[in-house]
Amino acid sequence: MKALASLDPLLEHRIRLGVCVLLAKHSELSFARLKAQMQATDGNLGAQLRKLEENGYIQLRRDFVERKPTTWYKLSDDGRKALDTHTAALRALIDSAQGSD
Amino acid sequence: MTDVNKLRSDLDFISSAVREDPCAGGVPALYFLWGVLIACGFILPDFAPRFAGIYWLVAGIGGGLFSWWLGARKSRRQGINNPSLGRRYGLHWLLAGVAFLLCFLPLLSGRLPAQAGAANFLLVAGITYGLAGVHLERPLLWCGLLMLAAYGVVVMLAPPFAWSITGVIVGISLFWAGFARRAALRAAGEQA
Repeated sequence: MKALASLDPLLEHRIRLGVCVLLAKHSELSFARLKAQMQATDGNLGAQLRKLEENGYIQLRRDFVERKPTTWYKLSDDGRKALDTHTAALRALIDSAQGSD
Repeated sequence: MTDVNKLRSDLDFISSAVREDPCAGGVPALYFLWGVLIACGFILPDFAPRFAGIYWLVAGIGGGLFSWWLGARKSRRQGINNPSLGRRYGLHWLLAGVAFLLCFLPLLSGRLPAQAGAANFLLVAGITYGLAGVHLERPLLWCGLLMLAAYGVVVMLAPPFAWSITGVIVGISLFWAGFARRAALRAAGEQA
């Protein structure tokens, strides 16, 4: 099936996909915000963010918010393209599943 | 092989994470601030009309700038940096400010009596808050509708102290929205 082949293996993990969806919606989010939103542990979220960063899907920058060190994450152009392709494949899969019902 | 049930469970998880966004909505302190500013500003035309113009010039611009600063600060504290949303807010309230300034034109040129011209401010405020409720923060929709209803009453019935009554009602509705928002943030474990 073509839709299955178009699914991005990196975005098949729910935390990684969720992070990309949230970043597409909000532009830039801090680590703490992503953690609260995804209800993930520091270790798990950090590991998933590292994978996304290593693959060029997200970019990070470090900043201070009221003297507290804060890491901000942003979806890169490649990440946005990958997310669009992945969500289109998911949509096609859902459509084909509904069609076969 | 992608398991369909796992896929469905993942999508449910993500949609709930996106939907249950405790940051969506306004800053309670701003609802309270504008509740007070609007109540005072609407009472002035009834009791001290000569101060109403200067009050709105100072409170409108000052309150707007303070709201912008507080909103940006709150957003960063909540871990959100969304310039496109900030631009949307800025453009909305900037257009509102321009419309309010244009309401002064017929008054300054003397083509419209003060009482009739004053109603235009209420109409512009109603539309501005109503559209802010549609596009930015839902609680503002009810305030906007209230202002539009008050405009209809002011224009058709011309009741005594209509401005004061409207200002107090709008102030109370903004306070109610602020308390509701604060309770929602506390329930979500946010620092309001």
